[in-house]
Amino acid sequence: MNLRGKRADVWHLVTFIGFAIVIIFLIYPLFDVFQYSFKNKETGELSLANWKEFFGRAYYMRAFGHSMFISLATTFFSMVLGIPLGFFTTRYKIKGSNLLTTLSVLALLSPTFIGAYSWITMLGRNGFLRNLFSSIGITLPPIYGALGIILADSLQYYPFISLMLAGSLMTIDRSLEEASENLGARATKTFFSVTMPLVLPSLTGGALIVFMMSLSNFGTPMIIGGNYLVLPTLAYNMFTSEVGESPGMASTVSIILMLCAAVVIVLQTWASSRRKYASMLVNRPVVKKLKGAKAFFAHLICYFIVGLSTLPLAVIVFYSFRNTSGPVFQPGFSLNSYKQIFFDVPKTVANSFIYSLTAVVLIALVGTLLGFVIARKRNLAVKLLDPLLMIPYIVPGTVLGIGFIVAFNRKPIFLTGTAIIMIMTYFIRRLPYSVRSAASILKQIDPALEEAGINLGSPPGRTFRTVTLPLMQSGIISGAIMSWVTSMNELSASVLLYVGRTMTMPIKVYLSVADGYFGTASAMSTILLVVTGIAMFVVNKYFNRGSDTFIAA
Amino acid sequence: MTSIKITGVEKRFGELLALSDINLTIEKGEFFTLLGPSGCGKTTLLRTIAGFYRQDKGDIWLGEELINDVPAYKRNTGMVFQNYAVFPHMTVYENVAYGLKVRKLPAQEIEERVKSALKNVHLEGYEARTPDKLSGGQQQRVGLARAMAIEPRVLLFDEPLSNLDAKLRVEMRDEIRAVQKALGITAVYVTHDQEEALVISDRIAVVNFGKIQQVGPPWEIYKNPVNLFVATFVGKINALDVVLGEDLGPGLRRAQAGSLSFAVPSAGTENCTEAVLAFRPEEVVETDQAATGANRLSGTLVSTAFLGTVVSMELELGGNTIVIERHRPKKADIPAAGDKVEFAVPPESCFIFDKQTGARLRAKEGR
Repeated sequence: MNLRGKRADVWHLVTFIGFAIVIIFLIYPLFDVFQYSFKNKETGELSLANWKEFFGRAYYMRAFGHSMFISLATTFFSMVLGIPLGFFTTRYKIKGSNLLTTLSVLALLSPTFIGAYSWITMLGRNGFLRNLFSSIGITLPPIYGALGIILADSLQYYPFISLMLAGSLMTIDRSLEEASENLGARATKTFFSVTMPLVLPSLTGGALIVFMMSLSNFGTPMIIGGNYLVLPTLAYNMFTSEVGESPGMASTVSIILMLCAAVVIVLQTWASSRRKYASMLVNRPVVKKLKGAKAFFAHLICYFIVGLSTLPLAVIVFYSFRNTSGPVFQPGFSLNSYKQIFFDVPKTVANSFIYSLTAVVLIALVGTLLGFVIARKRNLAVKLLDPLLMIPYIVPGTVLGIGFIVAFNRKPIFLTGTAIIMIMTYFIRRLPYSVRSAASILKQIDPALEEAGINLGSPPGRTFRTVTLPLMQSGIISGAIMSWVTSMNELSASVLLYVGRTMTMPIKVYLSVADGYFGTASAMSTILLVVTGIAMFVVNKYFNRGSDTFIAA
Repeated sequence: MTSIKITGVEKRFGELLALSDINLTIEKGEFFTLLGPSGCGKTTLLRTIAGFYRQDKGDIWLGEELINDVPAYKRNTGMVFQNYAVFPHMTVYENVAYGLKVRKLPAQEIEERVKSALKNVHLEGYEARTPDKLSGGQQQRVGLARAMAIEPRVLLFDEPLSNLDAKLRVEMRDEIRAVQKALGITAVYVTHDQEEALVISDRIAVVNFGKIQQVGPPWEIYKNPVNLFVATFVGKINALDVVLGEDLGPGLRRAQAGSLSFAVPSAGTENCTEAVLAFRPEEVVETDQAATGANRLSGTLVSTAFLGTVVSMELELGGNTIVIERHRPKKADIPAAGDKVEFAVPPESCFIFDKQTGARLRAKEGR
């Protein structure tokens, strides 16, 4: 649509700002990562030494293998947990299914390191569950390493599977299954020949997301992995370790991590575009009421799955109220841990709120404007900008952190140790989600509405303000809240970028766990959990957004 | 009240030539319809008038003003959209007042104009409702009231009734026509529904392949189509491939379709042998009433369709399938499948088209 001839307008400026952001905060730091990776450490010449070393030494290849194994295993177990839950809650009448969904989403959105840390308190060297089991003569395998990572990851990410499966099961028109029955197919035949093929695309999509999240997860393997290195923790160690620090090698690992992520994203895009069945939902699917033993087992399975994923969160909350003396837990309950937070590190709490809120304002503002440009102004520049804005999808936090340190530790842009670098990290990591969501909201708004506004005499700017924006509002706000939650819980990039005065809550939790201050870590984690829970509640209650919002986050 | 003049307008979308050399003058206060199949360019032309597209060539005038470079929001055209485009976040009142607030009219005038616009579309008392509480027809009334309230120079209708059910469509059609006449406002109306076009329009432009095929009043379009496309698109018609043969006396010529022989008007057919003969189902006469014996035919009835005022009969006729109509049928009139049906096609009811170009072949002076 060419409304104003060829004159420059506000949307050209927005496009320009989009390019500036991408170039300064993505391409520039990532280019530095590339440079480091292809440079000889001593001479500064172009060299493939890092790459030879990576593929030549078992130490590195092992981490690669670990990453693949962990991600695959996590995907598998997420499906084992997610498929029955998603299926039972949509097709059978399960009492309290709303509660189940809410709790599973809470597990999904909780900071990644909480689960790991909680499993340590339960099954670690002196964990209470381990002690309980050994008192009855059962010795559990050690939790540190692959087992712990897979356990914590699966219990965090399985809701991607259950929610996406539930979403697509609920949008299959009942008539399709009825047609199959009418044509003479049995219930099982109908399930495998009609229902399954229809939900397969979203199941594949969910599996790939789980793989991706697990692949780039830093907090869980860092806390519970022990000596079991995966790519993100390897990159972190290579970059930060005082002995044998090697930014070149860290960069190489980063690039390999990004390549893996890119492959997954390509697969995911392909999977979701290849077979998407848009259906006109006329007849909602029926929810069957089960009886007797069947009902009992369906409930048992659902409550067991959700219970298992809620357990680590509950344990954390419980521990936060336990009496402490320094790092040591004492019998009884108290608010000591909370007191300690607010007396010792109020700045950390304040930082988390200030940084994430500032970032969210930026994310919502810039994301909405860029989303509009991408949805409505398809010129050449925008077509170029669109994929560039999606880069953060494939840049794991660890990689972005490394890039930021390298790029912004020197002129012309010196940001190391500032609040700005923390805010920009949150901003960049969440921006593509915000752009995507704004663009998809816009695609649901009929362009004829904007045309009607213009036709009635309202200039484009005013039309955007009076017609488009009010219609996007609830989507933008709920998206912003989700961005806020993820920013509050961000660890993988900020752990590389913080200095003492820019410490945030997730970093403090991580450090407290490392130092054995479990009480402080629990209290801090509980605060983050409560914040996450409140945000979810607000989005659900006031914006009438279903669980799809949470998956998009 | 403003006239619209369109000269030499062309619009391309990439390779696709959406509008080609459009020349039209729409008179003040006229109800003008752009009629054509989907993808023919009629909506493109309407949106070009509204300013949502900029033509690549040619000029558009609203009255005395050349509006080529006037942005859409300054054109003061009131558009009624196919999917209503009623703002879902505003009440009925706010929707209708939207264009007036943009124009910074005093509050009292806004109120008066909204009132009167809603009265015109019979929506008094609906001011505080939100669009989700309205039916499709009511939403389209809001769209119409909203477009009228700004007192536009022209009203533009983009298939406004295509999303409504049949009964409502007829009702709204008559209402749109009545309101337009009462206000005396120039209207351009886009539709693919030929019946709607015939009923509602002062004049119709039949559009196909981005070109205007014929412009004229409904009667002219129906009774005197200039080419085979217009003849087949507007109303029902039987078309037979024929070879034109020898003269059959004053003004008549033979047209042979396989074993069938017709006498058809010869005017304008001098340089043509391969042609298409076409006649409308209702133009046939019962054989016993036929004064002359010309074009007497006998077909085998394949099926009948009873439509209340008319029986439509599908006949097999020398390897062709044709449809004829019998009006005000009585039970005894309706033959059974397989029966022979005798009828005649008066030569003056036969249209002859050039098979190659589709152009109508007729006497130079036209009508």
